[in-house]
Amino acid sequence: MENGLKALLSVQNLKTYFSSDEGLTKAVDGASFEIFQGKTLGVVGESGCGKSVTARSILRIVERPGRIVDGKILLRRGAGVVAQVAGVEGQGVRATRGAWRERAQRQGPQAARRETVIDLTKLDPDGKEIRSIRGKEIGLVFQEPMTSFSPVHTVGSQIIEAILLHQRVSKREAREKAIDQLRLVGIPKPERRIDEFAFELSGGLRQRAMIAMALSCDPNLLIADEPTTALDVTTQSQILDLLRHLQEQRGMAIMLITHNLGVVAEMSDSVVVMYLGRVVEEGPVDDIFHSPAHPYTQALLRSIPSINSMARTKLPTITGSIPHPYNRPPGCPFHPRCPSYIPGTCNQREPGMVTVNDQQRVSCFLYEGA
Amino acid sequence: MTQMAQQNGQILLDVKGLRKFFPIKRGFLRKTVGHVRAVDDVSFYIRKGETLSLVGESGCGKTTTSRCILRAIDPTAGQILFHSEQGITVDVAALPKGKVRPLRRQMQMIFQDPYSSLNPRMTLLDIVGEPLLVNGVGSRQERMDRVAELLRLVGLRPEYMRRFPHAFSGGQRQRIGIARALALNPSLVVADEPVSALDVSVQAQILNLLMDLQAQLGLTYLFVAHDLSVVKHISERVAVMYVGRIVEMAETEAIFAHPRHPYTEALLSAVPKPDPRLRSKRIVLEGDVADPANPPTGCYFHPRCRYAVDVCRSLTPALEELEPGHFVACHRAKELTLAGVAGARRVEETGRA
Repeated sequence: MENGLKALLSVQNLKTYFSSDEGLTKAVDGASFEIFQGKTLGVVGESGCGKSVTARSILRIVERPGRIVDGKILLRRGAGVVAQVAGVEGQGVRATRGAWRERAQRQGPQAARRETVIDLTKLDPDGKEIRSIRGKEIGLVFQEPMTSFSPVHTVGSQIIEAILLHQRVSKREAREKAIDQLRLVGIPKPERRIDEFAFELSGGLRQRAMIAMALSCDPNLLIADEPTTALDVTTQSQILDLLRHLQEQRGMAIMLITHNLGVVAEMSDSVVVMYLGRVVEEGPVDDIFHSPAHPYTQALLRSIPSINSMARTKLPTITGSIPHPYNRPPGCPFHPRCPSYIPGTCNQREPGMVTVNDQQRVSCFLYEGA
Repeated sequence: MTQMAQQNGQILLDVKGLRKFFPIKRGFLRKTVGHVRAVDDVSFYIRKGETLSLVGESGCGKTTTSRCILRAIDPTAGQILFHSEQGITVDVAALPKGKVRPLRRQMQMIFQDPYSSLNPRMTLLDIVGEPLLVNGVGSRQERMDRVAELLRLVGLRPEYMRRFPHAFSGGQRQRIGIARALALNPSLVVADEPVSALDVSVQAQILNLLMDLQAQLGLTYLFVAHDLSVVKHISERVAVMYVGRIVEMAETEAIFAHPRHPYTEALLSAVPKPDPRLRSKRIVLEGDVADPANPPTGCYFHPRCRYAVDVCRSLTPALEELEPGHFVACHRAKELTLAGVAGARRVEETGRA
C-alpha cells in the first residue's frame, strides 16, 4: 500500500502454466505485485522470466495451451482518474452498469461503495466483461509495432475500430477522435497519416500510432510490453518522453515490461524483478538500483555494460545461463547460479517474500529470520 | 591519416572513400530512378590488434560497410586495403570474384542472431569444421582435433561436438558462432551486433570472451553495434555513422567524455542510464533519421541539429582531424562545447513529480 492508496491493479499469487507433451512449463509461478494510479511499475527480467505472460494473463489473452491455474488479478473499476490523483474518493466516478457492479461486489469484499473490484481471472476470456476492460480500461502496447498492426487495414481504421467498440459515437466522431489521438502522440499531419498503412510509417511513428490506439479509450492502466526494444536509442528517448508526458497529463498507471535496466531506471517509480516466473524482488526504484537485496538483482546490475564505466574493462558475469523451462531447478530457481547459495536450503525449499525495509521485499533465504 | 596512424602501430585495414549505392528501380523497364546512398565516402583504418566499433542507428550503413569489407557485397567505389600477414597489401574492393575466397581465410564474421546463423541440421563438428573442410585444411582426424581445440577455446566442452545447435542456449550458440569464425586463424574478425540478441546476463560473458580471445590470439575486431554501452566496453576506437557517413571518430574515452559532433552528443544523451539518480535531461532529437535515398542538402544532420547555422544547410562538412586521432565532420566543431558522459555525475531535475 503506497501512501495509503488502494492499488488500481493487484496481482496475487498468479500462476499461469503451459502444458504440452514434453511437460509442464510454469511460465508464471506465484507472482504478486500491485500497480497504483498515476505511477509506473517497471517489470524487469530476462527472456523466459514470465513478464510478458503476466501481462497477457492480466488481459486474459494467454494463448492455449496456457492457462491461469491459480491466483487473483483484482482490478479496481469505477474510480475516476482525477479523483485518485487528488486523493479525493467518490468524485468523478464513472457510471458503471448495475449488473457488473453487483457481480463484482459479490466477488470483491473490499470494494468501496461506488468503486468495484473485479477479479479478472474469474472472467470468461471471450466474454463481454473482459472485452469491455481490454482496450478500454487497460490499454496494451506491444513490442513490435509492425506485427501488431494489421498490414491490410489503415492505421486509422484500426484505431477507429477500437473507439467504435467501446464508445457510443458516430463514425465521423470516431474518426475525429482518432485524428486527435494521433496528434496527441506527436504524429505530424495526422489527417493524412490516418489513412496510411502501418508499413508506410517509420518505426518511431508506428510505435506512436500503437500508443495512440492503446490510449484511444482513455485507459486507467497502460501495459507497455517492451515498447522501445525494437527502436533506435534516439527514437527510444522520444517514445519514453511521450509516455512520461501522457502519464502526467492523464494520471494513468503504466506497467512497463522491459529487460533494459536503463529504461526502468529512467521511467519507473517502483520495480518488480522476475526470474523464471517468480518475483524475486520488489521495491521503490531507488532501493532496487542502490541497495539491491536479492543476489540475482545484485548480479544483474553488476553485469550490465554501462555507458558511465571505464572503457575496455571486464564485466563481472553471472555464471551459467537461464535454465530451460522444462529443467526448472527445485527450490529457489536461482540457486544454481547464485554466489551465496546455501546447500541444503536453497535447493530444497522455496523462499517466501521477506520485507527488508519499508517497501522493499525480497524472496531469498539470506533475509529470512533477519 | 595513414602516416599518422602508422607511427602508433601497424595498420591492418585501410578503407578509403568507400561507397555503396543501391539502385532504386521503378516501372516496367526497371529503370533506375535514384540511388540509396547506404555508404557514402567512408574512410577509416584499423590497427593490428585493436577494436574499432562502428556505431549508429538502423539504416546508417554500418552493416553495409562491414559487408563491403568482407566482399559479401561489391562496393560501388573506394579502396579497401588489407595488409595481410605475409606483408602483401590487397585491395579487397578491386579483387576479381574468384580471388576473394583465399582472402576470406584471413577475415571472418560473427553474426548477430545465433538462432538463425547456425544450421539446425548440422552438428557442432560440421558447423565449426566447415570452414576447414571448405578450405581443404587437414585430414578428418586433424579437423576433429581442431574443432575440439576451438570449442575449448570458447568455453564449450569438446564432448558437445556431436550435438546439434538446438541443444544449446543463446549464449552457447553465440560461442559456437565465434568458434566457427576462429577456425581458420583469421587476423580480422567482423562482429555484426554479436550480443544484441542475447540476454543481459549472457551479454557480459560473450563480451569478456571476445576480449580474452583478442588478447590470446592477437585478433583485430571491427565491431558493429548500436548499443553504446556495449561499444564502450569493448572498443579502443569508435566511429559514429549517420546516414552513410562517418561523422566522428576517436579513441573511446575521448569520444565518450568529449564528443565533438552534435549527433554524438545527442546519441550519448539518449542512452538510458541504469541509475535512477542519474535521470538527466535528455536531448530529444526531433524527427527521424534522414532518408539515404533523398538526403538533405549540406550536413545530413542539420534538420535535427540544435546548433545548425546557415552554412550547415548548404555545405557538406568534411571529416577533419581536430585533435590528434579525433576526427569530426562538423562546421561548428571548433566552437562548440558538448556534453559527454564519462564521470558525468550531474543530476538534473527531470520535471517529474
